[in-house]
Amino acid sequence: MEASSLKKAGILSLIVALIIMGCWEFYLRSIGVSNSFDDNEALWAYKRAQIYDEPERSTFFIGSSRIKFDIDLRTWKEVTGEKPVQLALVGTSPQLILKNLADDKNFNGKLIVDGTEFILFSRDPGDQESAKKSIEYYKKWTPAQKASFYIDYVLQRNLVFLESKKFSLNGILDLLTLAERKSVPVFRGFPIGFEPTTFDRQNVMSDDFTNDTTRQRQVKNAWIQFGAVSSTPGIKGDSLQNIFKDLKISIDKIKASGGQVIFLRPPSSGEARAGERIAYPRELYWNKLLQYTNTPGIYFEDYPEIANFECPEWSHLSRQQAVVFTKKIIEILQKEKGWVFNNKQTTSFNNINAKNF
Amino acid sequence: MVFNSYTFIVFFIIMLVLHNLPLPWKIKKINLLIASYIFYAAWNPPFVLLLWLATIVDFYVGKALYTQPNKYKRHLLLVISLIGNLGMLCFFKYGGFLLENFTHLVNAMGINYHPAKPNIILPAGISFYTFTTLCYTIDMYKRRSEPVKSMLDFALFVTFFPHLVAGPIVRPPQLVPQFETPRTANQKQLLQGLLLISLGLFMKVVLADSMLANPANTVFNSNDALNTLDAWMGVLAFSGQIFFDFAGYSSCAIGVASCLGFVLPENFLYPYAAIGFSDFWRRWHITLSAWLRDYLYIPLGGNRHGKFKTYINLMITMLLGGLWHGANWTFVAWGALHGFYLWVEKFMQDLKTRKKPVPEMVMQSNIVTRGIMAPRFLKTVQSSNFLLALFTFFLVNVTWVFFRAPDFTSAWRILTSMFSHVSKGTVLLSTLTIIKVSVIVVAMVLFHWFMRNTRVLTVASKLPWWVLGLIWSAMLILLILSQESSSSFIYFQF
Repeated sequence: MEASSLKKAGILSLIVALIIMGCWEFYLRSIGVSNSFDDNEALWAYKRAQIYDEPERSTFFIGSSRIKFDIDLRTWKEVTGEKPVQLALVGTSPQLILKNLADDKNFNGKLIVDGTEFILFSRDPGDQESAKKSIEYYKKWTPAQKASFYIDYVLQRNLVFLESKKFSLNGILDLLTLAERKSVPVFRGFPIGFEPTTFDRQNVMSDDFTNDTTRQRQVKNAWIQFGAVSSTPGIKGDSLQNIFKDLKISIDKIKASGGQVIFLRPPSSGEARAGERIAYPRELYWNKLLQYTNTPGIYFEDYPEIANFECPEWSHLSRQQAVVFTKKIIEILQKEKGWVFNNKQTTSFNNINAKNF
Repeated sequence: MVFNSYTFIVFFIIMLVLHNLPLPWKIKKINLLIASYIFYAAWNPPFVLLLWLATIVDFYVGKALYTQPNKYKRHLLLVISLIGNLGMLCFFKYGGFLLENFTHLVNAMGINYHPAKPNIILPAGISFYTFTTLCYTIDMYKRRSEPVKSMLDFALFVTFFPHLVAGPIVRPPQLVPQFETPRTANQKQLLQGLLLISLGLFMKVVLADSMLANPANTVFNSNDALNTLDAWMGVLAFSGQIFFDFAGYSSCAIGVASCLGFVLPENFLYPYAAIGFSDFWRRWHITLSAWLRDYLYIPLGGNRHGKFKTYINLMITMLLGGLWHGANWTFVAWGALHGFYLWVEKFMQDLKTRKKPVPEMVMQSNIVTRGIMAPRFLKTVQSSNFLLALFTFFLVNVTWVFFRAPDFTSAWRILTSMFSHVSKGTVLLSTLTIIKVSVIVVAMVLFHWFMRNTRVLTVASKLPWWVLGLIWSAMLILLILSQESSSSFIYFQF
């Protein structure tokens, strides 16, 4: 082939690719899809590295998806004047992240640990996998990967089709309905609008989602499929004791370095809450956890203002609910738990509402 | 830095601009050298020191080897070079493996010895650049070619970023002369290079990472006895994954070099269309098999000392070739299985040629031009005999089990699941995954078969420009859509 034909082929390929991807982007925006960042190992590593920035002026969050939805980071920053760093990982026990922070002698910040029992008290390797991968990635984060991360950030900020979970090739193929094989659980992903992720790693339900009971039902069905609303009794005996022991070792290390730790039990409702009550009675898990680790905790049901949220899909708060919840948590931390934040403008509690977003 | 990353795209654009500026050739070469060090340091900056060490030692030792008249001093210089190159490789790649095996051995002898597990980080691509520098000093020792005159050219030969971390493994005569005269790509080379890069990235990102990696990992990471279909799908997925991953890398490397005006040797020629195992090794990782042939098999004696010795040399070559891929006995088993297949093939060949022996010289020249060991009897096979290629592909799949499995227990478990009925074997893969693997693997084998006697650029040149443009755009769209994060190429670990 002559160079001119190759040139024509190359130009045609670029034009076709640009037109098709442009149409795809336009279509997704037209159906209300907004920007969402890939909550991958690189983003986690970027946030993990922030523990060295100003640890004494930052609050760190670890746990699973509930704390990622329920703590509104913008509200946190505006009210406390401190930088919130979200290190929780969806579907992941905070055990390994806690240990990783405890083993880092430089860590002496404020730490809030998601106390959702079925994931905090889990030894299932699947519940540790993301944490393991993210920590490994962080340790080996190469200069090339860092540079790619920053370029990726610019692209993801501007193109909605780059949300890989939903709009990647595999995400699209997963929408195909096929006769499934017996005993192979197939998860086709969460509906659009349930879990958009900000660059700060907060998950924020879209307004469309919070108004759409069909999509909420899809997520509820997913929780049933995952066994997250099960009332099967949780881990007990030596296994539970060993988890308590490991948590205590890590917490003691952080305290010894000058850090502060508190457990936070985020809200749930409906069938999820009903299952949790049976599977993880408070006196056998939460109370013992605080007692064994000698660590304070905030249990949502102890505070009327945040005790009765109706989570849209039983397990996570909407954006508006998260703002209310976050403000209350800060208030409890300051007034009840003795936490001191650098910013004194606690009067601004009532000036912040979800419309700020 | 990996080719499938945003960092590389920016890096490559800068390199293309710099390389096409009206600068003196020496400055352009210095640019290429600095860029190659940046390319490598982007993984782990301190490991650039190893590259510098290997470059400096081998440049001066190579020159001395060529000019030194004293036989004993030349031997000594060769030993220094071998110790330097292989010592580094042994320490970083095989240090932990050797210690582990030594510990097992002394424990078996009743000595209670439990050393701490060494925490050695493997420098990316060390096996590749060690073989590149090693062949230079051996060539100098044998006086096969002239020593490289300029340190800059030698450093660039060792470090040139397209081939640095995963090949193709280049020989000095293939690359050094290209650094001696100014080179920039003409429009055709540039466009062909871009086409090869698109194809390589499509193979790596879309097919290997996005479609096949997950089923292969699911099956090979499982600790259960598997359903036969799942076991086969996992192994077939890995067959596809490793081909698309490595051939994709090689296409990118050749394409990147082409965009800069350089030519790198081909590394893959549709290996799953191979008829027999010597044919397979003429098509799979060609530059490695040629290296092993020229610097191991032939020095061991090749086929010059009788049939028995030939068989032994063949097996030694394949065992060490297996070990080159990784510090684990499973890789040795993989090599042994390939050695065994080659034995059987050679035995059949010997039976056929017993009445009509082939002169040694003819055999050698055939080897040099085409691959490790040509199966003469198979050359009479009609190209339409697709079944033999399928049988070869089937046997290759069996070897991949040892290559991919983390240990022998896992390998046996998968082989048992593949070849026997496991009652209540675990079902792992979804219908969609099975469809993906089946479609891709069938398409891959058919594509290899129809392409076995041609090249992708030859076929592309015969297509109408708009057809090529549409195929090219489909690759680009799927590449963008797949959105795989920049995972490393499998062969970086070797």
